[in-house]
Amino acid sequence: MRIALFRYFVRQALANISGNRLVHLIGVGTMAIAFLIFDAFVLIFVNLNHWTEEWGRPLTMSIYFKGTPERIALESIERELLRFPGVTIKRFISKDDAMKTLRRQLGDKAGLLDGLGENPLPASLEIILSRDKTGDLLPYQVKKSLERIDSVDEVQYSQEWIERFQAIMEAIKLVGIIFGGLLFLAALFVITNTIKLTIYSRKDEIEILKLVGATNRFVEIPFLIEGSIQGFLGGSLALIILFVVYITAITRAELRFGFASLDIIFLSPHITLFLLLMSIITGLIGSTVSLGRFFRI
Amino acid sequence: MIHLFNVYKSFGSKNPALIDVSLTVDKGEFVFITGPSGAGKTTLLKIIFCAERPSSGHALVNGRNLNRISDRELALLRRRIGVVFQDFKLLPRRNVFENVALALEIMGFPLSMIRKKVHQTLRYLGLATKEGYYPPQLSGGEQQRVAIARAIINNPLILLADEPTGNLDPDLTMEIMALLKEVHIKGTTVIVATHSQELLKDTRRRIVALNKGRIV
Repeated sequence: MRIALFRYFVRQALANISGNRLVHLIGVGTMAIAFLIFDAFVLIFVNLNHWTEEWGRPLTMSIYFKGTPERIALESIERELLRFPGVTIKRFISKDDAMKTLRRQLGDKAGLLDGLGENPLPASLEIILSRDKTGDLLPYQVKKSLERIDSVDEVQYSQEWIERFQAIMEAIKLVGIIFGGLLFLAALFVITNTIKLTIYSRKDEIEILKLVGATNRFVEIPFLIEGSIQGFLGGSLALIILFVVYITAITRAELRFGFASLDIIFLSPHITLFLLLMSIITGLIGSTVSLGRFFRI
Repeated sequence: MIHLFNVYKSFGSKNPALIDVSLTVDKGEFVFITGPSGAGKTTLLKIIFCAERPSSGHALVNGRNLNRISDRELALLRRRIGVVFQDFKLLPRRNVFENVALALEIMGFPLSMIRKKVHQTLRYLGLATKEGYYPPQLSGGEQQRVAIARAIINNPLILLADEPTGNLDPDLTMEIMALLKEVHIKGTTVIVATHSQELLKDTRRRIVALNKGRIV
């Protein structure tokens, strides 16, 4: 009995969709726009979060040398660094390596560097100060101690900037949660009204079903399935559009600047799945709210 | 089977559609409800299958007080009442088979059983060749028979027919009446609302006459 009923519900929901193609098409389109705005917002938010995490995770410090440092100089710097807890030496970048990296980043515009003659880029040593072991004072102490060494030209790190950026990110996160919530409510409102349209277009059918003995649940379930399918299609369409826009934007940026100036990531599979699930749930909630009690006969 | 006690029904400020109607219909009876247009025949049937609730008074159908029936109980009761509506109330986007199958699908019967019963009923009503047709493609008489098929397919306790021969020619009228009588012979309580005096001529069935909402 139950399997027969479930089959009937799914069959009915699909028949209703194909029987009211235009209404459903408008519904899915409207939902896709609503979800697209929301998804785009999530994408921006995810990227901002990604950048703070990337920049703020370990503190990277660059030690720039005057000319090419000799082996002894490097060894004395290493000894100096080992005095501090949580410091790891990441890599040594020679003048040639620095030039190679720059050429790679410039891509086909690398020819610009040919006229330079002598390589002006300094050799450097990148070190990492792990966050959990470095206090507020440590990077400053490391910097001061290294700057006393003759072969060292300059020591750069950007903790102050990162801290300020993180404070801004906290504020953005709060605004994001409020704004995201409002966007979600707006999407729900649009979806509810769209589904109402499909229900109103079948008011007579609902009346007949009730008069021949259908329970409220029997009438409601195909609508709920329809709402979920609409939500799924609208949500998928929004994600596809967002992905196409993302790919196009990335490609354009690479063409224009020769390299991607910012590390822009797309939504992770988990977030994509979550958004898709949320679209389905939104469709479901939209149907439930729309159905309300208006067809009680 | 059906008991109405001092039922009043009014729609807003208009004249009441039913005034102090008390009526008892026993199990297995065949009753005609007659009267001119606007006498309250349709409202009386609507009270019986609870499409309308009495403004005052009580209605009991198959032991259920319709003033105090839950949504679910009402749905279950309606499954025991077959209704042939004046305007047929067929779903235009579903074909004959699907319209008739509706009453069984609601009860959750498996598809194989639904197919068997629908074919049987359609054959019985002479609609075997029409099962793939949609209501707008059928004549008035055929639509009426589809409505009857849907009403009788799950052997209801009560069959209500509102002007079942309203727009039909005399031959079809006789055919539909013969069908209703057959259903009655199988034990169903049948109530037919009609304004046609022709239908009542020579009948030995009980006739309840309504005029301006009152039983006369």
